[in-house]
This record gives sequence, structure tokens and C-alpha cells, in this order.
Amino acid sequence: MKKYLLKRIVTAFGIVLFVILLNYVIIRLAPGDPVRIMAGFDNPSQELMDALTKKYGLDQPLYVQFWRYITTLFKGDMGDSYLYNQPVSSLIFERVGASLLLSGVSAVLAVLIGSTLGLYAGRHHGKALDRTFSGVAYMLNAMPSFWLGIMLILIFASTLKWLPTQGMVNIRKGYTGWAYVVDVLQHMVLPCATLVAVQIPTYFRITKSSVMQVMAEEFVTTFRVTGMSERKIFNKYVLKNALLPIVTVFGINLAYVISGSTLIEIVFSWPGVGVLMYRSISMRDYNLLMGVYLLISISVAFMMIVVDLIYAWLDPRIRYD
Amino acid sequence: MEKIKKVGVRLAGMVRSSMQLRMGLIFFALVLLVVIFAPSLAPFDPYDLGDDLLVPPGTNGHWLGTTNMGQDVLSMIIYGSRASLAIGIVSALISGVIGTLLGAFAGFYGGKVDKVVSEIINIFLMIPTFFLILIIVALFGSSMINVMLVIGLTSWPSNARMMRVQAMSIKERTFVKSAISMGETKRQVLFKYIIPNGLFPIIANTTMGVAKAILTEASLSFLGLGDPNVISWGQMIYEGKQYLATGWWMSTFAGLFIMLIVMIFYMIGDGLNFALNPKMKKI
Repeated sequence: MKKYLLKRIVTAFGIVLFVILLNYVIIRLAPGDPVRIMAGFDNPSQELMDALTKKYGLDQPLYVQFWRYITTLFKGDMGDSYLYNQPVSSLIFERVGASLLLSGVSAVLAVLIGSTLGLYAGRHHGKALDRTFSGVAYMLNAMPSFWLGIMLILIFASTLKWLPTQGMVNIRKGYTGWAYVVDVLQHMVLPCATLVAVQIPTYFRITKSSVMQVMAEEFVTTFRVTGMSERKIFNKYVLKNALLPIVTVFGINLAYVISGSTLIEIVFSWPGVGVLMYRSISMRDYNLLMGVYLLISISVAFMMIVVDLIYAWLDPRIRYD
Repeated sequence: MEKIKKVGVRLAGMVRSSMQLRMGLIFFALVLLVVIFAPSLAPFDPYDLGDDLLVPPGTNGHWLGTTNMGQDVLSMIIYGSRASLAIGIVSALISGVIGTLLGAFAGFYGGKVDKVVSEIINIFLMIPTFFLILIIVALFGSSMINVMLVIGLTSWPSNARMMRVQAMSIKERTFVKSAISMGETKRQVLFKYIIPNGLFPIIANTTMGVAKAILTEASLSFLGLGDPNVISWGQMIYEGKQYLATGWWMSTFAGLFIMLIVMIFYMIGDGLNFALNPKMKKI
């Protein structure tokens, strides 16, 4: 286990380095002056340009530049956003919570709903309800997530006026305490429903197929012949086998917990990392954009390793690969 | 020639065996007709700014309404099929070719080549590709060519991983071993036996790749990173979002068509996969 752990940590570190290198190469190759890209806007003052040149050693040879870039990053300094006039790292840090709340809740709901429906459909394969679920899952899988979000706004917010259109809280009301929680929950319904809806098909498919696979196995037939009850076979063998692929997909989704909701956050103006990124794109605040990208990449690499370690702990066969 | 005929015969067999594949191909042919005959099918010039601003579907011959600029939504959707299909197919092809070649090299030659390629594949599979695409397009410009290239160059690892496994298993088969002992060079073996025999799963995966590329392009356009000179469905959703309360038709129809075209490619891909592994039950 120790050896495996060490190996995975080395991989994660390698990936983070690779992402930083990639980021750096993109800045260097992009049309225009890297100083301007790092400043975040087109005509920085001479003082700022001199300061940046000195900070990243842009007048030094390339390897010195790259080394400076990495060491500055590891100090937690991702530069400043000209748009907000604040350090990029603190801007991101302020918004991570909202993203985590939205995608965390959605990820859990999606795995619960998706796999329950998949279990049902796999057990009752070919029945009317299974066909309906499968058809809906097929359509949900083909939809652009942001479009689904827009359609939900159109139906439930603009037309029926049941739920708020955007944001996380009603700023005008200034709720506190319990009312605040209810307000946030109300704002969360639509973005959450969108995220859950687009994640369900994966869980549904994978659960259904693994249930059907196990049900077709010969040992199941044997149990049936010996008179074991259908319920017992299902709970004891079929369910257990379906669990590992579900955990796998859930793990991958967890890795994207900060970034997975980006497009949906933009649709609903949810004050998370996604909106930050959207503003940085539309206002051409490259420093902020690069910072968000770096953080997302690092968090994904980190979470993938965590998920890998959990598997290794759950399923000892993996460790000895 | 012989090889092409064989592949053709096998494909025809697949089409016969899978209903889903057949339906997908028929719909795809319909879409192709729309793409080719867009100018004669569209009732209006999609770039023409008419006098009917933001009118609902059915007004003055605008079946699906008009935009805030007075453009006919139906005509935009007909022309927009060109951008979606072009970006989807070209980027999936780029990713298919790179993936096949790299995967086959790695799987067939093994050793150090394999180690390096596998490591690159692993890294690519662990970085968030959509954001990489997004950042490159944001910094390098959002022309259609750029978008195609970036999607193609970042999505090959899944193809490469499949082809690598195929190559590793095919090279152990008797006909390959006998070809080698007959004195055929490694390169000949790679291109004559390994790649043609391992290609079918990659074709299925590439079809799915077209669908994913279309969705990626739509997402980029939705973030305002579409080619401003081209009409695309993603961009129509993006522009329609501001007029949701007064002109729901702008976003709604464009999204519906994205869903339809993506479903067509899923059908073809699923159908191919099913025809390849008939044991796999329809799920």
C-alpha cells in the first residue's frame, strides 16, 4: 500500500507540473506579448511592465523564467486580476464554497437517483417503465447542459414564476438565519436539477448494464434453480456487483466537483468559480482565467489520486497491479 | 482495393444487423442533404436583417420566428447545421487519426515508445480537457479552424488507448506472426494488418467523438468563444439567452437541433458498438 501511495503521489505531482508547463507554454505561444497577458490587459503602464518583467525574470533565459514562474506559483501567488484589482488566489478562494455546495449536492443526488433508476430498469428490463427511463436518459445525454438550464428557467421561473431565475440569495430581502437557508435552497433548485439531470444518464446506463450482466450469469440461474428468492439474489449478489462501477463514476464526478458546474453556474449566475471564469473570458482578464484553469487542473489531479487511494483501500486487487 | 472491399462488406453486415445503426445512418443522410442544399431550403437569407424584429413563430412566413436583429431563425438553423457538422466531423477525424497512429505505434512496438505514449495518454486523461480547449481558444482566437484543431488535438487519448490495446492483442495473432516470419517489414505489418484489423472500435468511438465535439463547440459558443463570422447553434442559444423573456424561440429551437444531431451520432456509435459485440445487450 505504501508503495502504491507513493507512486500515485508522484504521478499527481507530475501532472501538476505538466499543467503548469502547459499553462506557461500557452502564455508564451499566444499571440501578443507575455507581459501584456500576465498584466491582464492590453496597455499596462511602463512601471507595471517593468515590475512584471522583474518578477518573472522575463529578460532572463527561458529556463530561469520558467523556474521563476513555478516558484512564484508555489508561493500561492497567481498574480493579480485587473478586473477586480485583487490577487487571483483570494478571488478564487472566496468563490470555491458556492461551487462546492452546488456541485457536491448535485453529485450526491445524481448518484442516488441515477443508480436507483438503473437498478429498477435493469431488473425490469423491457417493461414500459424501463423503456421510458432509457429513452429519457438517451435524450438527457444528448442535451447541452446549459440549454437544459435555460429551458428550466423558461418554464419554472419565467413562465410559472415558481422559482427565482438567478443568483444564490435574494439580495434585496437581506434574509438572515433560517430564512436565509430557505432562500438559498430555493435558488438552488433549478441549477441543481439541471446538474442532476445531465449526470443521471451515466449512472443509469452503467447500473442497468451491470445489473443485466450479473442477472445473465450462470450462478444466478443456479441460485434460482435451488429456490433462492429473487429478492435475496438481487440484494446479495446483483447489488454488490453493480456497486463498483457506480463508485468509479462517482469518483470521477467528485474530481470535477469544483469545475463540473461551470456552465450551469453561468446560466444561473450562481456566484461560484464558473461565473468568475466567464467574466474573465468576456473581459479578457487572462491572468484570472489562467489562475482558474490552474486551480481546476490541480484540484482534479488531487481528487483523482484521492479517489484512486480509496479504491485501492476498497479493492485490494488494484494495489498489486 | 481488396482490403477496402473487405471493410465495406463488414460494414454492410453491421448495418444489416443493427436497427439503431440503420436509423442513425438514415437520419445522418437527411442532415447531409440539409447541409448541402441549405441555400435552397432556407426560406430567407440567414444573414439578412429583416424588418420583423423578434416576432414569434408563424409570423410573416417566419416559421420559427426571428431574432432581435430580424434574422429568420429557421434559416439560421439550416445554415447552422453546416458549422456544427463541420466542426464535429473534422475534429473527430483529427482525433481519430492521431489516436489510431499513436496507439498502434505504442501497442505494436512496445518498450520505450509504449511507455512514453501511455504516460502522455494517462496525463491527458487526468487533466480537464474542456478548460484546456477553452483557454487556448480564448487566447489564440476563436476561428472555426482553431476550434476544430484544438478539439481534435485534445481528444485523441481515448482513441489511442483503445487502439493500443487492439494492437497489443492483434500482434500476437497467428496471421501477423506469419507475416513477420515471411519477411514483411514492421511498418508493412503495422499498416497492412494491425491498423485495418483494429480499426472498428475506433470508428465507433470516433462517431461518439463527433457528438462530443458538437457539444463542446456549442459550449464554447455559449461562453462567447464561437467564431463570430459563422452562424452556429451554440451561438444562437447564447444570443437568445438575453431575450428569454420576450423571445423564447431563439434559444429553444437551436438547442433542440443540437440534441437531435447529437442523438443521431450516438445512434450510429451505439449501433456500431452493438454490431461489433452482438453479445452486448442493448442498453
